[in-house]
Amino acid sequence: MKHFFTTALLCLVMAVGAYAQRTVAGKVTDKAGEPLIGASVTVKNTKVGTITDINGMFSVKVQDNSAVLVVSYTGYSSQEVAVGSSSTLNVVLGENEQLIDEVVVIGYGKQIRSTLTGNIAKLTNENVKGMPVVSVEQAMQGQAAGVNIESVNGKVGAAARVRVRGVGSINAGTEPLFVVDGIPLAKDARNTFGAAMNPLADLNFNDIESIEVLKDASAKAIYGSRGSNGVVLITTKSGRSGKSQIELDMQYGFSKPTRKREFLNSSEYVELFTEAANNSDDLEGVAYDESYSWTTFVKNRFRRYSGYNDDWMQGIDKTNWQDEAFQDASIYNTQLSLSGGTDKVRYYVSANAGFNEGILVGNHLSKDGARMNLDFDATDKLKVGVNLAVTRTDTRTVSDDNAFSTPMQLVALAPITPLRDEDGLLYDRPVTTYYNGLIDVEDATRKVFSNRTLANAYGDYSFTENLALRVEAAANLYNVRDEARFGERTDTGNDSKGYGQSVFAGATDYNTNAVLRWNKAFDSHDLGLDLGTEYFKSTNNRTSVQGEQFPSDGLKTLASAAVITGGTSSEDNYSFLSYFGRARYNFDRKYLFNASARIDGSSRFGANERYAFFPAFSAGWVVSEEGFLADNSVVSFLKARASWGQSGNADIGNFRALGLYSPGSYNGSSVFSPQQIANPDLTWEKSTELNFGIDWGMFNNRISGEIDYYIKNTNNLLQEVPIPSTTGFSTQWRNIGELENRGWEFTINSNNLVGAFKWTTSFNIALNKNKVLSLADGQDIIDNGGSRYLNVVKVGQPIGVFYGAEYAGVDPQNGDALWFVNEEGGDEAATTNDYSEANFVVLGSPLPDVIGGIGNTFSWNGLTLDVRFQGVAGNQIHRAGDIFMSCNACWFDNQTRDQLDRWQNPGDITDVPEARLGYSNGDIGRSSRYMSDGSYLRLKNVTLAYDLPANLIKGVRSLRLYATATNLLTFTRYDGWDPEVTTDFLANNTTYGVDFYSAPQPKTIIGGIRVGF
Amino acid sequence: MKKVKYLLLSGFLFSVVACDKQLDIEPLQSVSETVALDSDANVKLVLQGAYDNISRDGLYGGNLFRDAELAGADGEIRWVGTFGDPRDITNHTMDAGNNDAENTWRTAYVAINTANNVLSALSIVNESDRARVEGEARFIRAIAHFELVRLFGKPYVAGATNSQLGVPVVTTPTRGVTSDSYVSRNTVEEVYQAVHDDLHEALDLLPEENDVFANKYTAAAMLARLHLARGEYSEALTEAEAVIGSGAYSLVSDYADLWNQDDNTEEAIFSMQVSNQDGANELVTFFSIPEYGGRDGDIEIEQKHISLYDASDARLAMFYEGNGALRTGKWRDQYKNIPVIRLAEMYLIAAECKARLGQSADEYYNAVHTRAGLSAKTGVTLADVLLERRLELAFEGHRIHDVKRLKGSVDGLIRFRPANWKPIRTSFRITAIN
Repeated sequence: MKHFFTTALLCLVMAVGAYAQRTVAGKVTDKAGEPLIGASVTVKNTKVGTITDINGMFSVKVQDNSAVLVVSYTGYSSQEVAVGSSSTLNVVLGENEQLIDEVVVIGYGKQIRSTLTGNIAKLTNENVKGMPVVSVEQAMQGQAAGVNIESVNGKVGAAARVRVRGVGSINAGTEPLFVVDGIPLAKDARNTFGAAMNPLADLNFNDIESIEVLKDASAKAIYGSRGSNGVVLITTKSGRSGKSQIELDMQYGFSKPTRKREFLNSSEYVELFTEAANNSDDLEGVAYDESYSWTTFVKNRFRRYSGYNDDWMQGIDKTNWQDEAFQDASIYNTQLSLSGGTDKVRYYVSANAGFNEGILVGNHLSKDGARMNLDFDATDKLKVGVNLAVTRTDTRTVSDDNAFSTPMQLVALAPITPLRDEDGLLYDRPVTTYYNGLIDVEDATRKVFSNRTLANAYGDYSFTENLALRVEAAANLYNVRDEARFGERTDTGNDSKGYGQSVFAGATDYNTNAVLRWNKAFDSHDLGLDLGTEYFKSTNNRTSVQGEQFPSDGLKTLASAAVITGGTSSEDNYSFLSYFGRARYNFDRKYLFNASARIDGSSRFGANERYAFFPAFSAGWVVSEEGFLADNSVVSFLKARASWGQSGNADIGNFRALGLYSPGSYNGSSVFSPQQIANPDLTWEKSTELNFGIDWGMFNNRISGEIDYYIKNTNNLLQEVPIPSTTGFSTQWRNIGELENRGWEFTINSNNLVGAFKWTTSFNIALNKNKVLSLADGQDIIDNGGSRYLNVVKVGQPIGVFYGAEYAGVDPQNGDALWFVNEEGGDEAATTNDYSEANFVVLGSPLPDVIGGIGNTFSWNGLTLDVRFQGVAGNQIHRAGDIFMSCNACWFDNQTRDQLDRWQNPGDITDVPEARLGYSNGDIGRSSRYMSDGSYLRLKNVTLAYDLPANLIKGVRSLRLYATATNLLTFTRYDGWDPEVTTDFLANNTTYGVDFYSAPQPKTIIGGIRVGF
Repeated sequence: MKKVKYLLLSGFLFSVVACDKQLDIEPLQSVSETVALDSDANVKLVLQGAYDNISRDGLYGGNLFRDAELAGADGEIRWVGTFGDPRDITNHTMDAGNNDAENTWRTAYVAINTANNVLSALSIVNESDRARVEGEARFIRAIAHFELVRLFGKPYVAGATNSQLGVPVVTTPTRGVTSDSYVSRNTVEEVYQAVHDDLHEALDLLPEENDVFANKYTAAAMLARLHLARGEYSEALTEAEAVIGSGAYSLVSDYADLWNQDDNTEEAIFSMQVSNQDGANELVTFFSIPEYGGRDGDIEIEQKHISLYDASDARLAMFYEGNGALRTGKWRDQYKNIPVIRLAEMYLIAAECKARLGQSADEYYNAVHTRAGLSAKTGVTLADVLLERRLELAFEGHRIHDVKRLKGSVDGLIRFRPANWKPIRTSFRITAIN
């Protein structure tokens, strides 16, 4: 788009240049003194203008000394310079200090922020560069208002969940659409063994020029049926004309968990469990020394857990199992980039390599990649370009949180159990209480090798100064190989003399689009019209083979498996065909109007509802352009905007509209049997969104910000509606139900100090209220919580609200756990020790009411300190794993130390019931006993950097030394490991805030050096 | 330059009117319902699908038998596993959300729907195979209804009107969800009659030999069971004797050779085919131990059961010690076939009917009794036959049905109270929706 403007401007220069009176020449540079090539220089209130040449030089004709030049350049704040009597002007442009005038990438185009009528949050390279995290969304966390980013746990390579303006669906997708240089990047789970891997991890975010999050309907409706959860546009860097710049960045550091929990040591373990056994004997009236007493039983268990000896009596701490779950994790990343260009060709080339160890033992990821972005002016009218990126990511994964083999479940093992036997072999059951997951670390490999190529090419042709056509073709080629091999000692491999699985999965996504742009400005009118079409096709395939009976653990491939137990292949395709248009009209730069529409057809929709229509309208009023505010010394910019529009959610899975038979086999031959009942009316989920916003700037825009209020209503919710089983089917996919997200967003950006000592602040905060308005007719609740989990979907409540029995503490008389009866209309204070008598009530929401972040940057004489906090408030977390580790010694799992507060004698006031081995006394998952406040404030990122003065060393353009720490401090009342959590095996649309042996977040400290040549 | 311009513009316009055929993408792992029923070969694949349906874990893949044994455990076997649903079945404390009961219910209607789809497409089937295909589909529809009604319905009372509610009888394939999809429960009498009619049709239609699939004698054997359940002893005797007399099957000489087999034995009248490639054997999952591919040894055999046997009974050899408890060896090895009906049951039905009809049961009784290494008896009583039945068919899914039929008691309950089987509500709960 930039090129389009400059081309258009060139034409303008030729058309009107003849009227000028005298020539002003000059040079445009950035703050480092590097020339800016292709910057636009126009004479204010005229159509006269030019662009700078390869040395940053320009010359332009002006009428008289009162003329004012407007100098602008993408990514820099534009500047107005009075010509006066001078004939030479040197203009230094600063980067992005005045956000009001920045160029913002929008769907299929670009726009100046001051003319926007929608809500778009923008982040630049500076916001994410150099962060010691694996993927871009983790680097974005806390920096964009209304964008809630949550890592599910601290495993490296795990996907983070991104929710723009709340959770928008119950059964369809809830992730925003990620578009990288025009390629929609499906963020669905394409790995094969365990929890989802993250496609965004394949993107080197140091290559990113900007990230735009389209939040309101007017911004995202142009993405039609894929826009409803928001759209994240990621634009990678392109080269700039000028001499080559080389940058080398190297960083090295280490991570450890943000927090550990406290568990019982050996003597406490023996004491508590002996007491628990005694209590159970008392309950049953059995003498402790009877052979069948709990007390005898527990002693035998102690002996067993000690490795069949009496060491447990000594009170020696044999193993700290929690420490065994973690490793000292190191991280290094190297990044090399080269960019530059001539007046016709511009290039950006980069390569990166990195290795990230996770904090969990056996978990690591390495990543290498390269990118080449080329832009080429073929003729005056035709520009072409290619972006190409290749990435290889190798991950050594660990099991999901619910597996005995996952490192975090080691905490269940007894402190009296030694790690290894005399032969140095890791102890396993029966000496360990459960399977020893460290055996998986030693004797299993589970690796995911992925390769991704992102490629796109474009051609942009200007027919006239007003009319241009851009055609893009893009491909996302992905393949992943998942190799898992479990040795004979592992839990998975021990009944089959070793187990192996090899999975090869591939995805090929093609996207092509063409957009015709027409633009005309005359007098005070500015008109624009875009028409476009797009076609997207995704092909996904998967081949897998499993085998058993390996001669040796050393043989890793299935070639050595004596028995091949399974093998299959599958393919799944879907497509979209779309037409869209957008009209824009600005009058006098004061009154802004925008309308867009998109028609989407998709193979996913039923035959009766194949095409969808998504309109949006918006308007803006730039109040500060009005006469009464023109010379206001305080208010420098003020704009009010409003938008309404509809977008859809087509992430409803493939083929759900069809009546299907699936093949199977019986007696060694193939069969067909009914699989799914048809619903030809099945279609997208529809969001209707209203947004009101104010953009403001004060004191010459030194402080600027945005305030937004939105109401987003989503109906046609995709639901698997129960139908009578007598039909031969249990459920049918239907569009039924409605939910709402409404909220406020505030951002403030401020240049507090602008002298030699600089201080800038960026602040954002968002409040969102999520509410399920209706489900299927007559349905009040979707409850898949079973006996352990609390998340449900309930009408009138936020998605995933916690619902269960309300814990009432401990009966001081007898140590029984109590629950509130909560009978409707009954005595509010009534309690019961019989869990089944407690009525379920809403206990709290796992979704935060408030999310936000604040960043402060201080710089002085080359020293820069960047301090960024991020936090959430108002949410609850369910410590679901505590039914085992904090159950007042109900069974032999090692207990958290807070269980020592158990009730012991009549009159004791405590929240921990009496310990009773083998009895259930309050260890019920479906109760509020294990809920905590999940609010936290985190020192997300601190960077201290020192830039050596330019050209201090000959040949070195710049040199920066820096240290960065992430998650350095966390302020929270959460009682578990880390409050940023949703256990991976449950992490779906309706499950939030569940901690089940989930790895805490890593706290990472790195040091780095960045050199520019 | 002009040419380029027009080329580009026309290219753009062309792409705008791009063909929407691109949106017709068919699944590759599944076929649409029209394709599945559009040829002789496909309809036969769907028929095989009906067998696959009944072989799933909720039916003859194991849980149906497991739950019948657990519900009639009476201290002879003990559920020690961690799963709550089977525990509740054992303790007769099931609630409406019992997943295992719901799975059985659902799976039976899946099989019924598949069979109904086959029956709806008979005209496409080659004429020479049409009778067989119809017979097999009717047979599967019948046994699915039969298993449902005797599990979820109140007991059949011989000689009474049996107007107590059973389960819905469904005889049309489901193509969409309409108000007709919300069916109501038929009476026990109606369900038994529908089963009876389907089995009789099947008996006429089916060939004498049909590989591992249902044949004439399979239908006759099921009819024998049905008549026995209805107290129609002479009819039951007729059908059982027809199977015995056919010579198509013979008793395996060594009782142990009946079990853990890859292929059907000569005694097997109808078995679920299980291999490491397909079929399910959940009986192994729960009755066996990890060493053989079971779970944790979730079901233990108690001395109360063992003490029912004569010390020299060869069937005692089927029990083994594993993971600290006694186990049955009938369901020891994974990937082995599950016998659903075998000839010994026909002998026992014939013996019981004879005893009840005042005839000598000795011959039929002794065929089974002596196979177990015991000496032949004369003057066999009904009680002898019923004990023999209990031992011979132990853990094969007969227990609770026999308790109900014989008005016995379990765990001190006067008789098994079907009111404890609440899933009938579960499945109908959903009619409240829509």
